[in-house]
Amino acid sequence: MEDIIICRCEEITQREIEEAIEDGANTFNEVKRFTRCGMGLCQGRTCRVRIEKMIQEITKNLPRQGTYRQPVRPVNLGIEGDLLNE
Amino acid sequence: MNRIMEHPILGKMEDKKEVAIWVDGKILKAYEGEMIAATLLANGIKVCRYTRKRKEPRGVFCAIGRCTDCVMVVDGIPNVRTCITPVRDGMKIETQKGLGSWERSEKDDE
Repeated sequence: MEDIIICRCEEITQREIEEAIEDGANTFNEVKRFTRCGMGLCQGRTCRVRIEKMIQEITKNLPRQGTYRQPVRPVNLGIEGDLLNE
Repeated sequence: MNRIMEHPILGKMEDKKEVAIWVDGKILKAYEGEMIAATLLANGIKVCRYTRKRKEPRGVFCAIGRCTDCVMVVDGIPNVRTCITPVRDGMKIETQKGLGSWERSEKDDE
């Protein structure tokens, strides 16, 4: 069960994240810098909520909200360029 | 081919223009306006990429363009989310290994 992948982009397992939290990382940003979870292609869109929940379960505190990249839907810069040219 | 031709709410599938796309060197028939992932699934292709560390296969997961699990190399551009990219006639699609690499054309070098 500990081999479950939480961050699908960077392939970080539940065990690695739990170890990071036990080592003192108690916000999403700290877990991110310990393990690289949420730093892959999707920028934490899949795993952020799960990791914040894990921090809450282990530390019994509500973690501060992590920083993550907007917008909700990533778009290519080219699309914006096309809009400007119109 | 494995498509929903008759849907209880949406009704019968409309007649759409057919286009052809290349997937790993094979030609597949697609309908204009559908997403690349839809064509792949209709043709039984479930693996879009292999992961960087464990080399595990990945396919469509969220299908709304958020999770980036269905990324493939499309026309030499890596990390294109196939579930939200419509097909175009003559598109070349390849299974992505790891993070993929850019295929620079001579035009880009000028």
